[in-house]
Amino acid sequence: MKAQCLQLAPMPHILTRSSPVPAMPLFFRPFAGRETERPAVRQKGSGNIHTGVDIAGLSHEQLVVRVATERDRAAFRILFDHYAPRLKSYLVTLGLGDERAEDLAQETLVTVWQKAEQFQPDKARLSTWMFRIARNKFIDQTRRQKYPEVDADDHLQHLVSDDKADTGAIEGQMADRVATAMARLKENQRQVIELSFFEELSHTEIAERLSLPLGTVKSRIRIAFEALRNELGEFK
Amino acid sequence: MTAHGHIPDEWLVSYAAGALSDAQALLVATHVDYHPGLKARVAEAEAIGGALLEGVAPKPMKTDAFDDLMARIDMLPDDEEAPAPPSAAERGLDTDIPPVLADYLGRRLDDMNWRLMGPGMRQCRLAKGKDGECLWLLRARGGTVMPMHDHRGTEFTLVLRGSYHVGDQQFTPGLLEIAASDLKDHQPMIDEGEDCICLVITEAPIRIHSLLGRMVQPFIGL
Repeated sequence: MKAQCLQLAPMPHILTRSSPVPAMPLFFRPFAGRETERPAVRQKGSGNIHTGVDIAGLSHEQLVVRVATERDRAAFRILFDHYAPRLKSYLVTLGLGDERAEDLAQETLVTVWQKAEQFQPDKARLSTWMFRIARNKFIDQTRRQKYPEVDADDHLQHLVSDDKADTGAIEGQMADRVATAMARLKENQRQVIELSFFEELSHTEIAERLSLPLGTVKSRIRIAFEALRNELGEFK
Repeated sequence: MTAHGHIPDEWLVSYAAGALSDAQALLVATHVDYHPGLKARVAEAEAIGGALLEGVAPKPMKTDAFDDLMARIDMLPDDEEAPAPPSAAERGLDTDIPPVLADYLGRRLDDMNWRLMGPGMRQCRLAKGKDGECLWLLRARGGTVMPMHDHRGTEFTLVLRGSYHVGDQQFTPGLLEIAASDLKDHQPMIDEGEDCICLVITEAPIRIHSLLGRMVQPFIGL
C-alpha cells in the first residue's frame, strides 16, 4: 500500500506543482549538525540566504515540501516552532506527563522529517497529517496493538486548485474557518467532539460521564460531524 | 441515512479520534478499506483532529528542544531509498481481504486455527479486550442457519468472504452488520455456496435460545 502511494505522487510532481524555486545548488545540502544554529536567525528575515526564497511567506504545506525536497532546516524550524508546542499540549491533554509529552512531540517531528516526501500537499492539510502521526504514536506507546491505519488520503479529491495552493494566505483562512466552525457548534456538540479527541472516550464512556442515553451521544457526534464537514467543505 | 452495511459516522469520528478499542479500530479500518467514500469521511474526521490541534493552547518546549531534535535527526541512518515493504501476496498472505487485516492475522484465513463451534460453524478467537469484548473470526458453511440469539452488548459482524441474510437484508464482503444490545431473535442465514467468513466483535456473551446451544456455549467461549 505504502509503495503504491509513493508511486501515485512521485516527488517531481510535487516539485513542479508547488515549488517556484529553481533546483537547489548542491552546496546547500546540509552536513550533519552544522546548520542547526543559523536557521533560527534566518527565518524571521527576508528568507533563506542561500536561495533567496522568502520562506516566511510560505504555507505550512509548502514548508514541508521544502523539507522533503531540500532538507531545509530553516523551513523545518518554522514548523517546529508552530507545531511542537501544540503537539505537546495535545499529548498532555491525552494524559501524558510533561516529559513524555515533549518526547513524543519530538518523535512526531522526527517522523515528519523522515516522511516529509510522503505528505501530499494537494490532498491533506499539514495539521491533519501531524495529528494522525501523533495519535498513532500515542496509541502505539500506550496500548498493546499498533493503530490499524486507513490509507485515507488515497481517495481524496485534490484539496485546493493548483493556483490557490501557491498562496500562503490559505493557511490563515483555513484556521479561521475551522475556529469559526468549532465556535458555531452548539456547546453540547463541541463537548462530545472534545471528549472523543482529547480524552479518547468511547461513546459509552461519554454517556456515563455526561449522564446521557447512549443514543443521544451518538446522534450528537453525528450532527457535530455533519456541521463541521459542511463548514470545512474543501474536500468536496 | 447511513448506507446499508456501512458504518455510521459516530464510529468513524471515534476511529479518527483514537477513541475506539483495539478490536474496534481494527474492524473499522478493515471495513473502511473496502469503501472509498468511507475513507474520505475518515480523512474528514481526522481533519477535525487537525483543527483541534491548531486550536490548543501551546505548551512551551524546553529551550534547546529544536537542537535536540536536529541532533536526533542527524543520528538517523542515511535516508537512502528504503526498499518497499513486501506486499501481502509476496508474504504469502490473502489478497482478497484488506492489507491491514491480512497483516494483523499474519497468515491466510485457511491456515487459521479453526475450532468447531457448532453444526457447520467454526471459530477462531483473536483477542480479548475490556469488559468481555472479544474479537474473533466466524466461518460458517453455506446454507447454515445460525442459532437464534439475543444480544446483551453491541455485536459487529464484517463479512470477508461468502454472504449471509438477516430477513431480507443481505451482507456481502465489505459490508458490516451492527446488532444493537437490545436486538432480539437475531438469526442470520448463511447463503448457499462458499463458506462465509466474518470478522466479529462481541461485547458480552450472546444468549442462545436452544437448550443445546446454551449447553455448548460455555465451551465455545462466546
